[in-house]
Amino acid sequence: MNWLMNALSSSVGRKFVMALTGLFLCLFLVIHLAGNLLLYVGPETYGNYAHALHEQKAFLLLSQVLLYSAFLLHIFLAFRLTASNVTARFVSYRKKASKRDDRVVASVVAPEAWMFRSGAIVLLFLIVHLTDFKFEFGWGEVLAGQTPYGKAGVILRDFGRAIIYALGSVALGVHVSHGLASAFQSLGVSHPKYNGCVKWSSVAFGWIVAVGFASFPVIWALTAAPPSQTQPATHAQPASQVQPDAPHTHALPI
Amino acid sequence: MTNPAKKRLSLHLRIWRQSRTDEAGEFRDYQLQDISPDMSFLEMLDILNQQLIEQGEAPVAFDHDCREGICGTCGMMINGQAHGPDHETTTCQLHMRHFNDGDTIIIEPWRARAFPVLRDLIVNRSAFDRIIQAGGYVSIKTGQAPEGNANLIPQQHQEGSLDAAACIGCGACVAACKNASAMLFTAAKVSHFVQLPQGAPERTKRVLAMINQHDEEGFGACTNTSECEAACPAAVSVSHIARLNREYLKAMLTATD
Ligand code: HEM
Ligand code: FES
Repeated sequence: MNWLMNALSSSVGRKFVMALTGLFLCLFLVIHLAGNLLLYVGPETYGNYAHALHEQKAFLLLSQVLLYSAFLLHIFLAFRLTASNVTARFVSYRKKASKRDDRVVASVVAPEAWMFRSGAIVLLFLIVHLTDFKFEFGWGEVLAGQTPYGKAGVILRDFGRAIIYALGSVALGVHVSHGLASAFQSLGVSHPKYNGCVKWSSVAFGWIVAVGFASFPVIWALTAAPPSQTQPATHAQPASQVQPDAPHTHALPI
Repeated sequence: MTNPAKKRLSLHLRIWRQSRTDEAGEFRDYQLQDISPDMSFLEMLDILNQQLIEQGEAPVAFDHDCREGICGTCGMMINGQAHGPDHETTTCQLHMRHFNDGDTIIIEPWRARAFPVLRDLIVNRSAFDRIIQAGGYVSIKTGQAPEGNANLIPQQHQEGSLDAAACIGCGACVAACKNASAMLFTAAKVSHFVQLPQGAPERTKRVLAMINQHDEEGFGACTNTSECEAACPAAVSVSHIARLNREYLKAMLTATD
C-alpha cells in the first residue's frame, strides 16, 4: 500500500482525498438537513425519525466511523494543504488583483479564498454542536429526560447558541458553494457541456445549506421567548406550527 | 489609424528593486513624463532605464527576448495583475493605452518560493525546466525523418494537444495563483503529450514524475480558483488541470514501478 500513500501525499493526491471526503460530507449534509427539516413537521415526526435512526445500531456505527474518519482526514489535510500553500508564495504582493472578469464578488471575499477560514469556523461550530447534541455537555439537568424535539428547542432557544449555529451554517454554505464544484474538478470530472451546470448547482447547494440550517436557530429564536422564562403561557411555537386560533402553549412537550 | 492618439502620459512608477537574491529589496518611486500611449510596457521601462542611466542609477532589470508575445521570457506583476490588465497578453505586448495620465503603477516580480528573485523584476524560473526534465519528453526512433502519414492523429486530438502546447512557460499562472501553484503549467505539459500517440509510452511515468518534481520545487496545490487561466497569455484552460487530475488518478492506480 506504499504506492497508494505515496501517490496520495502529493499535491494532486491530497486534493483527491480532500475532494472525496468533501463530497462524502456533502452527502451527509443532505441527509442531515432532510432529517432536521422534520422539525418543521412536528415533535412526533421528528421524534419518530430520531428513534428510528437510533435503533439502527449497525448502520449508525458504520456511518459514524465513516463520518468521523472523513472529518479527521479532511481537517488534517486542510491544515497540511493550507500550510504548504502559504509557504509556496513566500513573499506576498504589495498589490494583488483578479483577472477573472466573471467574478461576482471581489476575489478577497470570494468563497474559494475563504476555504480555510470558512472551514475553521465550521470546525468551531461543529465542536459546539457535538458538545450540545451528542455529549449534552454544560447543560446540567436542562436536557435530561427531554424528547429529541424538546432538546433541539432548548438548545436553539439559547441566544448564544442561536448565533453560533446561524454563523456556522452560513460559513458551511459559503464553504460548499465553492467546494462542491471544486471537488468535481479535483477528481478530473470536467466537461464544457456540464461545467456551467456543476458551478451553478454548487452555488445553489451553498444557499440551500446556509438557509436550510440557519433557519432553525433563526426561526426558533424569533418565535420563542428566552428559555430563562419558565412561565409556559408566554412561549410561542415555531411559525409553521402556530395555528391561528390555537392557544399559544409551550413549544417543548415537557 | 482609426483612433485619435490619446494624450501622452505622465506616470508614477513604484518598482521593486533588489540587487541580488540574498539581499533585501525595496520599492522605489520614479516619475515618467511624456509617455506615448502607443508604446509597449517594456518600451516604457526602456525610457525609464535610459533616464536612470543618465542619472547614474542602475537600470531596472527585467527579462525579455522576442517582444512579440511568443517566447514567454517577459513577465511581471503590474498593479497586482500578472502581465497587467489586458487579457491573453504578455507584458511585452501590453500597450500604454491601457493606462491613464497620472496613474500610479506598482511593478513587482513574480512571487513564489520556487521562483527566487535574481535581480529587480527577474526571477529564476529553472524550476519549470526541472519539471519538464522530469517527464516532458517522448521516446522516438531517431534516424530518417518518419513518413508524415505513418501516425494518424484525429483532428480534435491535435487541436486539444496544441491548445496545451500554446503554453509559453512565462510563469504567470504561478504568479496569479494564491497558492503559487504551477498546476496549470504542469497540466499544459501533461495534456500536450498525452493527447498525441507519441506521448503514450511515458504516459504513466510522466504525470507522476512531473507532479513529484512540481511538489519538490515548493509550488502549492490547486484550490481551483481559475485565476491562472485568467492570467495566462496563451489562454491555456483549467480543463487541462482536470485532464492532469484524471491522468494522475489513472497513473496512481496502474503504475507498475
Ligand atoms: C460538513 C463539513 C464540510 C464539508 C461538506 C466540506 C466540503 C468540502 C469540499 C467539497 C471541498 C472541495 C474539495 C476540493 O477542492 O477538491 C472542501 C475543501 C476544503 N475544506 Fe472542507 N468541508 C467541510 C468541513 C471543513 C472543515 C471543518 C475544514 C477545516 C478547516 C475544512 C477545510 C477545507 C479546506 C481548507 C478546503 C480547500 C482545500 C484547497 O483546495 O486548498 N472543511 N471542503
Ligand atoms: S518578450 Fe517574448 S513574450 Fe514577451
